[in-house]
Amino acid sequence: MSGSNPAMALGHHAAEESPYGIQSKKLVMWLFIIADAATFGAILFGYGYLRVGSPDWTRPFHFSPTILNGMVMTFVLLTSSLTMLAAVAAAQAGQRATSARWIFATAGLGVLFATLHLREWFGLIADHWSPSNNPMGGSPLVGASFFSITGLHLLHVLCGVVALVVVALKYRGGRLEPGHVETTGLYWHFVDLVWMFVFPLVYLMNVS
Amino acid sequence: MTHGAPAQQPGMRLYIAIWVGLLAIVGVEVALTFAQLPTNTLLAALLSLAVLEAGIGVMYFMHLKYERRVLFWSLIPTLVFVLVMMNHLWPDAHRLLRMKP
Repeated sequence: MSGSNPAMALGHHAAEESPYGIQSKKLVMWLFIIADAATFGAILFGYGYLRVGSPDWTRPFHFSPTILNGMVMTFVLLTSSLTMLAAVAAAQAGQRATSARWIFATAGLGVLFATLHLREWFGLIADHWSPSNNPMGGSPLVGASFFSITGLHLLHVLCGVVALVVVALKYRGGRLEPGHVETTGLYWHFVDLVWMFVFPLVYLMNVS
Repeated sequence: MTHGAPAQQPGMRLYIAIWVGLLAIVGVEVALTFAQLPTNTLLAALLSLAVLEAGIGVMYFMHLKYERRVLFWSLIPTLVFVLVMMNHLWPDAHRLLRMKP
């Protein structure tokens, strides 16, 4: 009987507190991040499978320019996490304009990362690397795995930049609240942390 | 991590210290790469350092350390389980290697 059910007695609008004590948007972002981490895990495991199973795997990278460029990209991405943290702190302090400026700085660093990445890609393509061609004569899966893994990460960076700009504009205009900045920051930190696996496994493990 | 309400989050000073630490770890990774280590040793070292970096990032930058403990236990073991289950492919990769001339 509905009359004996306390939840029904409270009506349809009754809601219990989340056991996690966080906003729904933040919880959903965490769930997305865990799912996306499994996606990157799968693609990195696939890369490892191909690398271990290919006796003619080539190691095309040298300290300069590739690893040096990768170190600069890592510095840029890690620094963008720091600016994002400053944006979240400012948002939580109610400083909308300051927070928006930090978010724009984060997006700018994201653009710089993408530019460095694309410059590296174009250099490799000029050397006749492609997802189906290995100019060094070894397995073409080297190019396939490199472009697919770094491409998936680059896509995440570019999506993040768009999200950051949209959130910065809307938050500055008073249409979003600090929770939105924090949730976007979670995504951005995740993109940063994925690079912490991509750089050593895809770049450093392929140094000649 | 806390049982009840989320704890007070750290200030920028700690974040900058962590940022410097993460950059230092990246430097160690690059140094190890050019230290002429055996491939398996290098892979183990780089993976360990990457997991350390990710752990620090998740706990501090993503504030999981300052959320309720139940959030950590709901998310992280699930991901670890999925990643561990993916390890079933390695015997087949070694089989492929042996089949090649």
